[in-house]
Amino acid sequence: MIRIEKLNVHYGAAHVVKDVSLDIATGESFALVGESGSGKSTVLKALAGQVSDWSGSVEMGDVRLEPGRMNPALVRKAQMVFQDPYGSLHPRRTVDDHLDEPLQIHGIGNRDARILAMLDAVGLARKFRFRLPHQLSGGQRQRVAIARALMLEPEILLLDEPTSALDVSVQAEILNLLKGLRAERGLTFLLVTHDLPVVSFLCDRLAVLKSGQIQEIAGVDQLRHRDLKSGYGRELIQAAEGMSERA
Amino acid sequence: MTLSILSRDWLLDENPDTRMQAKFGQLYRMSRALMRNPLAVLGLLIIVALVVIAALAPWIAPYSPIEGSLTSRLLPPSSAHWMGTDELGRDILSRVIHGARITLYIVLLVAVLSAPVGLVLGAVSAYFGGWVDRTLMGITDIFLSMPRLILALAFVAALGPGIGNAVIAITITAWPVYARIARAETLTIRNSDFIAAVRMLGGSHARVIARHILPLCLSSTIIRVTLDMAGIILTAAGLGFIGLGAQPPAPEWGAMISRGRTFILDQWWVATMPGFAIVIVSLGFCLFGDGLRDVLDPRQRSK
Amino acid sequence: MALLEVENLKVRFPTERGLVEVVKGVSFSLGQERLGIVGESGSGKSMTGRALLGLIPRPGIVTADRMQFDGMDLSRLSERAFRRLRGARLSMILQDPKFSLNPVMTIGEQIGEALAFHGRLSGAERRRRVLAMLEAVRIADPERVYGLYPHEVSGGMGQRVMIAMMTVLEPDLMIADEPTSALDVSVRGQVLEILDDLVHRTGMGLIMISHDLNMVARWCDRILVMFNGRVVEECAAGKLSEATHPYTRGLLASLPRLDETRDQLPVLDRQKLGAL
Repeated sequence: MIRIEKLNVHYGAAHVVKDVSLDIATGESFALVGESGSGKSTVLKALAGQVSDWSGSVEMGDVRLEPGRMNPALVRKAQMVFQDPYGSLHPRRTVDDHLDEPLQIHGIGNRDARILAMLDAVGLARKFRFRLPHQLSGGQRQRVAIARALMLEPEILLLDEPTSALDVSVQAEILNLLKGLRAERGLTFLLVTHDLPVVSFLCDRLAVLKSGQIQEIAGVDQLRHRDLKSGYGRELIQAAEGMSERA
Repeated sequence: MTLSILSRDWLLDENPDTRMQAKFGQLYRMSRALMRNPLAVLGLLIIVALVVIAALAPWIAPYSPIEGSLTSRLLPPSSAHWMGTDELGRDILSRVIHGARITLYIVLLVAVLSAPVGLVLGAVSAYFGGWVDRTLMGITDIFLSMPRLILALAFVAALGPGIGNAVIAITITAWPVYARIARAETLTIRNSDFIAAVRMLGGSHARVIARHILPLCLSSTIIRVTLDMAGIILTAAGLGFIGLGAQPPAPEWGAMISRGRTFILDQWWVATMPGFAIVIVSLGFCLFGDGLRDVLDPRQRSK
Repeated sequence: MALLEVENLKVRFPTERGLVEVVKGVSFSLGQERLGIVGESGSGKSMTGRALLGLIPRPGIVTADRMQFDGMDLSRLSERAFRRLRGARLSMILQDPKFSLNPVMTIGEQIGEALAFHGRLSGAERRRRVLAMLEAVRIADPERVYGLYPHEVSGGMGQRVMIAMMTVLEPDLMIADEPTSALDVSVRGQVLEILDDLVHRTGMGLIMISHDLNMVARWCDRILVMFNGRVVEECAAGKLSEATHPYTRGLLASLPRLDETRDQLPVLDRQKLGAL
């Protein structure tokens, strides 16, 4: 579903993504793991058309991306959920406005029914429909962002640390929601995160990135058995265990 | 009583059932916040008074603003002429009341013409960046760098005196400020995730600017326009004062001061009364603008 | 005697709908130890920390039956006396060093400034203290970092600079509010080790406020779990897995694990908890 070959991204003089190649199957959930500056988010941004200075070849399904051009076919193919639920919603527009907009843009009818169905699908009570973002909690906002991404029924969801800004208990709710939606709709996930336990819960495979280069690609079972091969992958596991094991 | 409580609850409902209720609720919260600021209320009252007086001028003015009687020239304030009369025997109160119309006309027209132009140019400039930004902001800077009154003067001199041309001249000098504000505001939001999200949903640039960026620039522009009203009134009065704005016998406040200048020592009221009017109305807009800023723009709260 | 004793601390804010209580009567005492306060957003944990430092913004109202720091009654302290206490004997580390450091002053100057406020040291003496402090927070090249501006250092380095600035006056009590959440996983350990080191060396008390149960469990001696403005659980850090309160248990269960095999994560039943 997603095929990336020799992706290189430059920010001015900085070479932030180096020869990244990935092949992600339909319905698979794939994680890009690394610390800040590893280039993991940049890969996602290139796929989402937010970075224009890249080279290599990127295909999503039957849609071929070109640097610096928004491919209209991509819109129905892939959508994105952002890290910060506070920055990803327009502060002056209600939940309804957010969900209505994609339908308006693409002239899709039966909007009321679609919006209500989507609210139900992401587990957001209908009474929230006309609230403004600041009247919602972080978890509720992230549900709105997920709902917005799903309004056009894409096949791929690009997830940029979708739970790292949320409380632990809310994170569990959103992770469950994402897992359920994926099973229900046969979505393909590309998840960017620094949080290995989240990968273990939500993904099938992962790629470890450091300084813009892929260190290794592993199955999630390897992660669960702490069996990553690359030195950096092991370092990440160690750091994660230091944080989480004594409890 | 029951009804007002009902409607209050309806307005403050956290879970509005319709878009309309949500919008009204927002408006209600804002106006309540505004009403808690006594100075802003005073400013609002002054502006409302100005509008009412302007609207009802022919009915509340005791005399004609144009025709006077030469027998009652330069009379001091009295029960017959509350603000006295001018050198042509016209009732100054009536002229000030009719002058409210001219002032309001100028102020509204300038705001309606300059704010949208500035907003759109600023937002477009910042949103696209690059050479678009450099070109548009270069033009803006040229206008910004010239003194307002002088530039307005030059335009009126070229176009000929008159209220219409004064409005055009003031508009030309007023929009760059709004362009700057809109640009600064847009720069802070153009890389936001919610803009990226709309682009990813297939929204066009025009849609992003019109539906997402402009509404966010609007509040700071409204605040600025309100605060600028005082300056616009003064510029208009200044043009009137040097004879390039409203032409006699139109009762424009600046022009009235200008004529009263000759008698300022012996008949002080001729120049002072329209002066009071200018000061009060300018103050009204300033106070209201400050209050509005506290409500619309919590980041710059003055307290 | 305990370093800090708090009894029935309440923080309230007036709103359109009357007073809202965000901290609803919190009591605890602190010796020369590391106390973790854990909770989710809205639990009142940060407000508790701020109240201790007299940093609740107006119109917030802070009340307490007792709020004693080293024999002083904090609730009676004037704004001025508080200011003198802060920095010298009480200090605070915030989440993101980017917002807490002055961008137009070099790092050395900023740390030195705290010294200049609270003591009378000569310039050379100040510089020596600052350099020693930078070394204490494991900055390899203190001379170079002394002259850098905040934007020239990484997040982890920035947080270490913050710690240096906050500990240069050797406070008795340090309150760290999410000191590591803005940092990368690999840098977090370092920063925590530095804090730990300072606690051991100077004998100061540390209150660590965080949303991260496991981090707190690992780096503190004792844990308070806050929920909805109240302390719902107090236990020794090592005993967290034996926690009894349903909220704490729920939180622990809802964390995904590295060897996760559950199909769904258990979710907190907020309504049930709200009734408790």
